[in-house]
Amino acid sequence: MLYDMKPWAWVKHVIFHPTEGFEDMRWKKAGSLKIAFFIVFMLFASQVFSARYGGFAYNTRAYSDVFNIVPILVQSVAYYATWVVANWSLCTLFDGEGNMRRVAIYSAYALVPFIIGNFLSTAISYGLTLDESIWYSAIYQVGLWWSVILMVFGMKACHQYNFTVTIVTMIFTVVGMLIILILLALIMSLFQQVYVFFATVYTEILYRVRS
Amino acid sequence: MKLKKIISILVAAVTAVIIMTTAVSAVDPYNTYNYDAWWNAVPSQAGYEVTNTVDLIDQLKQLSDPSSEFFISEDEPSKMSDMKDFFFTDNGDIYIADTGNNRIIKVDINFNLLACYKTFNGSTLGGEILVDESGNEYVASADDFKHLKSPYGVFVDNEGVMYIADRDNQRIIKCVEETKTSAKILKEFVRPETELYDTQSFYCTKVLVDAAKNVYVICPAVNKGAIMFSDSGSFVGYYGANRVEVTAEVIRNRIWRKIASEQQLASLTKSTPVEYANFDIDKEGFIYTVTEVANASTDAVKKMNPAGYNILEKTADNNAFGDQVSITYNGTTYATRLTDIAVSDDNFINILDYTSGRIFQYDERCNQLLIFGFDQEEQRGGFNNPNAIDTYGDNIYVLDGRNNDITVFSLTEFGRYVHEAIALHNKGLYEEAYDIWQEVLKRDGSFYMGLVGTTKALYNQNDYKGAMKYARLAFYAGEYDRAFEANRQDTLRKNFTLYVVLILILVVILIVIRVLKKRGKIPQKLIATGVSFVAEKCKNGIAGIVEKVKKGGKK
Repeated sequence: MLYDMKPWAWVKHVIFHPTEGFEDMRWKKAGSLKIAFFIVFMLFASQVFSARYGGFAYNTRAYSDVFNIVPILVQSVAYYATWVVANWSLCTLFDGEGNMRRVAIYSAYALVPFIIGNFLSTAISYGLTLDESIWYSAIYQVGLWWSVILMVFGMKACHQYNFTVTIVTMIFTVVGMLIILILLALIMSLFQQVYVFFATVYTEILYRVRS
Repeated sequence: MKLKKIISILVAAVTAVIIMTTAVSAVDPYNTYNYDAWWNAVPSQAGYEVTNTVDLIDQLKQLSDPSSEFFISEDEPSKMSDMKDFFFTDNGDIYIADTGNNRIIKVDINFNLLACYKTFNGSTLGGEILVDESGNEYVASADDFKHLKSPYGVFVDNEGVMYIADRDNQRIIKCVEETKTSAKILKEFVRPETELYDTQSFYCTKVLVDAAKNVYVICPAVNKGAIMFSDSGSFVGYYGANRVEVTAEVIRNRIWRKIASEQQLASLTKSTPVEYANFDIDKEGFIYTVTEVANASTDAVKKMNPAGYNILEKTADNNAFGDQVSITYNGTTYATRLTDIAVSDDNFINILDYTSGRIFQYDERCNQLLIFGFDQEEQRGGFNNPNAIDTYGDNIYVLDGRNNDITVFSLTEFGRYVHEAIALHNKGLYEEAYDIWQEVLKRDGSFYMGLVGTTKALYNQNDYKGAMKYARLAFYAGEYDRAFEANRQDTLRKNFTLYVVLILILVVILIVIRVLKKRGKIPQKLIATGVSFVAEKCKNGIAGIVEKVKKGGKK
């Protein structure tokens, strides 16, 4: 009765009950993939917001005329996706009980404090001088570490590990993310070369045909 | 009908052409640019314009005219050749090192010939074994040192004593005028016979003398700094060497040095600093040096105190001189090579870029002010081989060793405003400089120092909003922060009662809501009508904004 909550209420519950929230959610089989994806989109939005806005003294970069959205896309959506894939692949081998859907949902829910901190710190930088930057970084750091703690307990609940194994698998997940990203970059450059090869052959043939 | 149409079109075209040509002729014939807050090159006004180019041919014809007091010989060339250096004395006499013709020309500020030193009597050198052009060895006599061989540098102290860097004779001559065509050698400075000086040659190119009559000499083969002699001619030491530029190679060598054996060490290249190309001394006795290496970033320009330490003020955002980006054009890469430096009486630092023929002017704090001059040698005022730069009064003189002429730059109205404003600005008289900066900004709206100056002036006038605006334009975070803090304090002080009342109202509302909630009596209906009333009001406003955005989008 107590835990018959609407999907959004679960987000709130999880955030404010770091240790038991995810266990409750797992027990009730709650958590929505739609909300998870919305949160990831908000992660991307918050990164863009903090890159493009903020007090002038805090973020002069935002006022220059060049802006590239691709790195931000990679830093939010691509990192999240590789995290989910790497964590699932690793924990499946290490007797983790979570499936990919759960990893995706729990990871996304854990990101909410970071997103809020990101938005908030950028917003208050409009009213702060550089001397008061402690407030800016305090809000950002609180959000960040809150999210880290949530992530640890989220993964712990998701795979039903004990604390040590959770930490170890998370570290290895980061390594796995790196490997995935390196492989992706490698594949992309290889395809580039293959493409260039075929393009050259095509032009060569074209020259022969024309002359 | 058709004819009429054609005629009217023709008339229109002709008038258009006339209007356009007159418009063009009013514009300065050179494209000048400056760096904005992002270090992008943007078009700017010309701070200097070419007012004269002098090749001195008419004056130098007297040298081969037997009836003239300047007569040297019948075949003395009347054209200067490959001049490497010149020097302006305080009263406006110009000494030109005519390197290709082995003579020193002295003219006054209006380019009337005063003297031309060809023979130098009283050399104490001789006895060395020299090799002549056909390869035979012979013992040099004092007569062999009567003439200069490629004089690369000239300096004149305030008593009129000349110091000449006689490069191929490997000596510095200290001499005074004897006749209109000859000079008397007082002293010669040659290669120091000491173990400290480990270079075999003494091919000196530039010379400079400070107030204590110490002689500073640049030899391109020596990278330990300038060679310093005392007035008596003895070797004092080296002065103000450059530091080694930290590149990847230097770091790699450093690591190798830790683990390599003795033999391997010997084969490693040594990390040596780059020698500087030229120097100048200002009226306070500080020596400025430039390093002529493509895109040098370490010690490209230095201002040194008597102990040889660089005391140039490093502004936060700019520590670079010249053009920062090399340009590849038609297969040639153009990179800045700073070849000469001249400090004017008002402490403006002028640096000559050999590659592009541009002159970069900085104030005493190294703020970029003006960029002018260019390398289109076909056009008047363009350079081919700009070798030396010097200043006299407000004018800037550039010596070109292939066009064989001297180009005179004079301040434009814009340049004059910039100089006046920056002089006040650097004294801290920001408010006095404000009006002049506005004149500058009228002519070049993105002039960086103008924006900075306006920011500081507005801040001092307590116009913090204006200061914030200009600080943003100048991309100057520190100054923005100062103005922002003051502005915040200002608004807080002015609207203190308003804020307190607002906070009180908020607190009261929260308390009321809490009380109502406790009693379970939240007037839902009342809130709903209130909200819908506000929403109705807002709808029109939002619709108007949407309409505006749509219209704006169509533009």
